Amino acid sequence: MSPYRILKVLRKDLSLGPRSPFFLYAIVLPFVLTLILQFAFGSLFDPHPRLGVVDLGDSQITAAVEEMEWITLSKPDSAERLKEMVEANDLDAGLILPAGFDDAVRAGDRPELQLFIGGESYASNRLILSVTAIDLIREVEGGESPVTVEVVSFGEAGLPISTRLVPVIVFYALTMAGIFVPGSSLVEEKERGTLMAMLVTPVRIGEVLTAKWVLGTVFAAVMSAVTLALNQALGANWLDVLVVVAVAGALSAMIGLLIGVFSKDSAVLFGVVKGLGIFLFAPALFYIFPDWPQWIARLFPLYWIIEPIWRVSVMGGALSEVWTELAVALAITVGLVPVVALLARRTRAQMAAA
Amino acid sequence: MSAPVSRAAVVAALLRKELKAYSRDKLYVFLTLLTLIAVVVMFRFLPDSVDETLTLAVSPPLATVIEDARGALSAMGVTPEQLAELDEADLATEEGLELVEFEDPSQMSAVIEGRLEAWRGADGELMLRDLDSGDPKPDGADRVDVSVGIAFPERFVADLTASRKVSVKIYSDAGVPGEIRDAVRGIVREVGYGLAGRGLPVTVPDEETVILGEDRSGDQMTLRQKFRPMIIFMVLLMETFSLVSLVSIEVLQRTVTAVLVTPARISDFLAAKAIFGTLMAFGQGLLVALLVGGFNADNWSLMLTVLLLGAMMFTGAALMIGAAGKDFLGQLFYAMGFTVPMIVPTFAVLFPGTAAPWVKAIPTYPIIELMVRTMDYGATWGDSWSLLSYAAAWLAVLFAGGLLVLRRKVATL
Repeated sequence: MSPYRILKVLRKDLSLGPRSPFFLYAIVLPFVLTLILQFAFGSLFDPHPRLGVVDLGDSQITAAVEEMEWITLSKPDSAERLKEMVEANDLDAGLILPAGFDDAVRAGDRPELQLFIGGESYASNRLILSVTAIDLIREVEGGESPVTVEVVSFGEAGLPISTRLVPVIVFYALTMAGIFVPGSSLVEEKERGTLMAMLVTPVRIGEVLTAKWVLGTVFAAVMSAVTLALNQALGANWLDVLVVVAVAGALSAMIGLLIGVFSKDSAVLFGVVKGLGIFLFAPALFYIFPDWPQWIARLFPLYWIIEPIWRVSVMGGALSEVWTELAVALAITVGLVPVVALLARRTRAQMAAA
Repeated sequence: MSAPVSRAAVVAALLRKELKAYSRDKLYVFLTLLTLIAVVVMFRFLPDSVDETLTLAVSPPLATVIEDARGALSAMGVTPEQLAELDEADLATEEGLELVEFEDPSQMSAVIEGRLEAWRGADGELMLRDLDSGDPKPDGADRVDVSVGIAFPERFVADLTASRKVSVKIYSDAGVPGEIRDAVRGIVREVGYGLAGRGLPVTVPDEETVILGEDRSGDQMTLRQKFRPMIIFMVLLMETFSLVSLVSIEVLQRTVTAVLVTPARISDFLAAKAIFGTLMAFGQGLLVALLVGGFNADNWSLMLTVLLLGAMMFTGAALMIGAAGKDFLGQLFYAMGFTVPMIVPTFAVLFPGTAAPWVKAIPTYPIIELMVRTMDYGATWGDSWSLLSYAAAWLAVLFAGGLLVLRRKVATL
């Protein structure tokens, strides 16, 4: 193999690659997914109780709820709108505070509590919102509580959902840049006949594949690092992170190469990705749902690169903590080389026969 | 001279050709089947129940707290009627609350801290497992996840009843959401107010008057139920890609021109593509819907109609996309550009409540909404007319658009 010729092919791919739609997708996807998953759908996995308040006076209860960051507050225009929203499950509960409510409470008039609960709200949310409402009304009532409560906390707070979504976004960066880009590039070369054209020059098929693998590795590593930075998961141990994303890029590009060599045309490429997609994506799900049995994730190849990224980049661990995973990832990468070589030989033979 | 052939016979012949072309690619057929099986298997792994209760540990057990209080209060000369009121302070009757009672507060705090594990046997007995000493998992018992608990002090009730201030400790794992910690604090304080003789500062109406909509407490929508329409919808949507490839191959390789030198007309070609695409999407959607329990005796006709509308809608879109683009990857690019916005309404299903107006404007919204209402809320034909009309309007636009674009493309080849 000639490094010079590999570099030549790589330079060609780098100059022509950006014309491919997958290049564009690979670059845009991490930004779009960060935006969608972190901002738009973040609350899907970590919902807070939703309370609506219609304050017809100027109750101190409204101000107190506004300060509670773990209750999602809405302020509909009218009592009717609030009831509609509660009934449509747009809110878990709705509280109507008539004018003079606070004064009536302080005066001991025991005004009626207009707290409406949605039929579809969870029992736990009903309890939380009811107790919170009563507790706030007690504060309006004034007077000292007969019970002093001391909260003793153990351990560290769980990871927020924004952090647990990072492996999902990194997975897509790796898939698009590491798997799709080299895979589709190779298939395109086959379909357009440019692979055949290259092979009549001194360039060997192994050199073409190596160039595509290097392209996928570098592109996937860069896009993973960019994704981690976008999600504020690139810490002070950035050198360790670079090693981890380089290994991740190497394995994903090898899988991309394997798919590219195997697929005789774009339709097959798409079919393979469609069929394998769910198996590739599976390990990322285990970070969103940490209660699932984690050993299952180890059965999937991309676990061995997502786990090191998670532990080193997101959790700030050291490289020494993940050497086993990295070794397995590299072993899978190396193990795939003979398979790719075998399929490449088949491809060359098919092209020669054609 | 051969006898003239009917249009139906031509379309049938083209359909046979489509089926042959589709089934010839064994790998594609295998992967399609694999995807369908994987989707159904994953569906079976989704949780089929909703835990809507708040697990709260208490120590000592409430019966002990109340019994201790009875003795102390009787000695203080409290009447039997007043003693009976103690039972009202029993948290175990509170809806949405599951109590886990520990004899010893140190055991409770150790469980919350993670040094001990709590397990509940079939008879309801609570067992503790010491992780450091390597205790085995108790047989036939379920792990109880305890992350927040209240340690009531001795003479809790007696002191409060005698208007003496008491201090209560709440043990909590740091991962417990703030709203739950605040609610537990509120529960303790409210119990205190009640025992100190300070009634609620508001009048509370009967429960029936404050629940709006159907009360689904204890019968909440599970994740599996929420995902069911989404899975069927995604199978329909994925077929867009398959049909795009079937159309684009004909256009790019210009085999359609070969078809058109036979007695087949453009309209036959379009009809065959449209029928084949619809049948493929509909067939797969139907299979998955059957496997995930999407049909019942009441909804089958409505569900079949919705599936057919969805299949036709995606077929129309696929005809349009298949006619565009200069190569397969370009068409894949367009297909992804089309399908990504179409997925948005399915995510809206996972969120509680009403979809945003801009989500409702997306063509696929009425399809997914109809599936949800039909499968999960028992909607009937009468409930669904407006959404069916809305879906049919979008279907007409996409289907007519698809046929028009593909006709023009074929005519230019």
